[in-house]
Amino acid sequence: MSAPIEFTVRHDEAARDAGENEPLLRLRNLHTDIALRRGTVHALDDVNLEVRPGETLGIVGESGSGKTMTALSVMGLLPSGGSVVGGQILFEGRDLRSLPTDEVRRIRGVRMGMVFQDPLTSLNPTMRIGTQVAEPLRVHEGAGKAQARERAIEILRRVGMPRPDRIVDNYPHELSGGMRQRVAIAMALICSPRLLIADEPTTALDVTTQRQILELLDDLREEFGMAVILVTHDLGVIAGRADRVAVMYAGRVVETAATAELFRSPRHRYTEALMEALPEMAVREPGVPERLYSIPGLPPDLSRPPAGCRFAPRCRFGTDECRTTEVTLSTGGHQHACLHPVALTTAAPAARTAPVSAPAVDASGPAPEPILSVRGLVKDYEATTGGLLRRTTGRVSAVAGVSFEVRPGETFGLVGESGCGKSTVGRLVVGLEQPTDGQIVLDGTDIARLPRRERRRMHRQVQLMFQDSYAAMNPRMRVDAILSEPLEIQQVGDTAARRARIGTLLDQVGLSRRVLERYPHEFSGGQLQRIGLARSLALQPRLIVGDEPVSALDVSIQAQVLNLMRDLQRELGLAYVFISHDLSVVDYMADRIGVMYLGKLVEVGPAYDVVRSARHPYTQALLDAVPSATPDLAAPRESVTIRGELPSALNPPTGCRFRTRCPLAQEICETEPPLAGAAHQVACHFPLRQEGGAEA
Amino acid sequence: MVRYLITRLGQALIVIVLVTVIAFIILHLLPGGAARSALGKEATLEQLAAFNHEMGYDRPWVQQYLMYVQRLLHGDLGYSFQLNQSVTEAIGQRLPKTMALSLLSTLLAVVVAIPLGVIQAVRRNRWPDYAITSLSLLAYATPIFFMGLMMIILFSQVWPILPPEAPQGFTLGEMLAEPAGLVLPTVTLAIVTIAVYSRYVRSSMVDNLNENYVRTARSKGLSERRVVVLHTLRNGLFPVITLLGMYLPALFSGALVVESLFNFPGMGQLFWQAALKRDFPILLGVTLIISVATVLGALLADLLYAAVDPRVRLRGRTS
Repeated sequence: MSAPIEFTVRHDEAARDAGENEPLLRLRNLHTDIALRRGTVHALDDVNLEVRPGETLGIVGESGSGKTMTALSVMGLLPSGGSVVGGQILFEGRDLRSLPTDEVRRIRGVRMGMVFQDPLTSLNPTMRIGTQVAEPLRVHEGAGKAQARERAIEILRRVGMPRPDRIVDNYPHELSGGMRQRVAIAMALICSPRLLIADEPTTALDVTTQRQILELLDDLREEFGMAVILVTHDLGVIAGRADRVAVMYAGRVVETAATAELFRSPRHRYTEALMEALPEMAVREPGVPERLYSIPGLPPDLSRPPAGCRFAPRCRFGTDECRTTEVTLSTGGHQHACLHPVALTTAAPAARTAPVSAPAVDASGPAPEPILSVRGLVKDYEATTGGLLRRTTGRVSAVAGVSFEVRPGETFGLVGESGCGKSTVGRLVVGLEQPTDGQIVLDGTDIARLPRRERRRMHRQVQLMFQDSYAAMNPRMRVDAILSEPLEIQQVGDTAARRARIGTLLDQVGLSRRVLERYPHEFSGGQLQRIGLARSLALQPRLIVGDEPVSALDVSIQAQVLNLMRDLQRELGLAYVFISHDLSVVDYMADRIGVMYLGKLVEVGPAYDVVRSARHPYTQALLDAVPSATPDLAAPRESVTIRGELPSALNPPTGCRFRTRCPLAQEICETEPPLAGAAHQVACHFPLRQEGGAEA
Repeated sequence: MVRYLITRLGQALIVIVLVTVIAFIILHLLPGGAARSALGKEATLEQLAAFNHEMGYDRPWVQQYLMYVQRLLHGDLGYSFQLNQSVTEAIGQRLPKTMALSLLSTLLAVVVAIPLGVIQAVRRNRWPDYAITSLSLLAYATPIFFMGLMMIILFSQVWPILPPEAPQGFTLGEMLAEPAGLVLPTVTLAIVTIAVYSRYVRSSMVDNLNENYVRTARSKGLSERRVVVLHTLRNGLFPVITLLGMYLPALFSGALVVESLFNFPGMGQLFWQAALKRDFPILLGVTLIISVATVLGALLADLLYAAVDPRVRLRGRTS
């Protein structure tokens, strides 16, 4: 174990607060264990951090890195079995570990506040919003009922809640995810805390909502003069918001520096690898994205942590010395725990600045016949009430006239926020649901109108890849059964032939044959996604529809899966429909992108053009909202900011469905704009640019 | 809310109509028909025919059903020749007593089981949890007649403080006048229910205590007591409401074993004796009552849900 390291950080932000040079929170040699039935997980190992008044500290890391455990240790909210076993948590100079329980509880309730990841489950479903928000006031400050209600309305107004005097009497389920997160923030702020801990506050939200919430946190930090700890896996979120960043890996802080410096010149090899694994870093030239760097292997098992640098087994530059020597954080403003750090450079990494004009899309020879052609696809769901006596009360327009084509060997990316209908399109294409209207022409046959038996045969051509492969696999089936099931259903070959086919599949996705006798729960997320991909490949389809196939994975694992999908596409001539909310992933993967909003395609074009010279205001707003991991280098932005909430698909706006939130909307937008253009189409009366990139 | 209520009531009505149809069909599938069952084996064909004509059993099926429903609507469940009493009267005498017994024991069970379950959940995997779990498993596994016998031996033989038999009063009031006699049947009946309910409360509370909203409540610096009682308990009691709804039929049917054991003059005993004597009108009447109670129980549980869970309420309102 390393000796205690004193932080002597030269701190510009904190220097503002003259006289308040003492850190607000200081973690010294913090050790946290979690006792499980099969052993003790050493979740935090010698963590040293400090937060000064008024600053934002970002803690970034992948799952299992200990970033959330750090936050929970401070708040005393460790899960059952978890406990802080060593070190100090100094808050305003007092060690929370040595104070009496009641005192600590009061400090946590009044001087600290916490916002959690999932706003949908983080509020008490049976308690009114106002009661929940004002509860700390009632408990810690003895406020009366009327006074508490008044303060609740006030703070709700402050966090941007529309009509707070009515919202206080609502229940959580009556609010959207973004609104609930505002409630959670209001609840954390009601006693004006000195420290706000936000644990993945926007991970469960759409990008446009994420942007609103992050901006709100920034404003509130200034107004309340409080410090913020922003815990996230998203380097982009950190880059835009934090003053200082701590990178965690396997229960330890491996690097800490001022944000700009960290992103300009990361020193630890893990930080470097993490940044190289980001899809947005890979897109350099149109048409030929370089391969993502993917970190091999998996993070270590923290019940038996390895000696030496914990990243060494996965590190490109790891030496024997790394695996045996305990490395401690260096001193100074930019600290790292690496024996072979990245050399200091002054050169900035290439930014996402891009030429506005795109090269012509592969125009060599006549375009091949599309493998999939979707024309005027419509899917309505009936909104019903009652159980036995069902009555139709309305129509939810999930997909409203979507048309696109996918050519063999091509990746078509479908992006949009939750509720835009992108997943419904995916399910319709693979035949899991029947369209209300329109055609789905696969290889010249309209599968929407096929009789059942023939539709089953079409499944050989098109397969689905799921977001959560674990949920999509029968937990009681072994991998061999999972992989041979599609072959059995389609009566392909005999037992021996099937076994041989499964072997080939495992080779293709880079798994050893030993996995065949194991069950889904024995695998990590990345491995499960490989098995899921193998299952989709079993019938040698020509088209795979991937519905958020990497959204549940950490950056380094995500890179492995994305690379694999690309390799297989090249080898097998596969076409993908790649559905994702993550623009940078789609940008990396797709040849062409379709942007959906409320059941309609608003823009379709070559990926490079759509991302770098968007024509639809919604696309631009979406792009602007995506936090970039290259903060100070980002190109000047158009900045189309959309406000408000997604309208209900039960009664979608007439004409252009985006017009209710569009800054450019005018009267003509009440008529529906057609999807117009040659290669780069847009459905907008006032496109931001002409086709080819010239500003409109 | 009103629409929600109407919808659910309509559904309940449909189920009850279906139940009467089935009960009616069973009545007509009786070996030898209702007449044979009423008049006995010795009856001549003429007597049977006369009976059938008198009761309207020779008329068309649909007409008979309508007559049956009409009689039901007037509260006429039929006549028991064995008891020489109308079914309505026989049930009317016993139902209040059974309901009193069931209500008392359910009340006792709920009052004891909820705190027990909460204690187990809060002290999960520590000695109070293990102790209560062991006891409730023991109670659950013990056959109820054995439990009743043990109670009688312990509390009216070894330590004679309570009478071994239920009071035999003709009316409910007379029975309630002798509360000591009600203790053993009530407690015996409650013990198994406590065992079941406390398990449900425990698992529901354990699940809820791991929910994110509880973590949020803790992050507000609330005391553990406030977190458990104010935040978790309400959400944790939903399964108990379902259980109570499912238990409602037992409120009407009575507890067969306990009533026999303590010679308690309730519905269970009535049903038991009717089954022995092949007293079909009684059996059918009781069955119908229980079916209606089952449907009403489910309805009541749903309404209770709507009262405590705002999410259910909304579904009704926005529709």
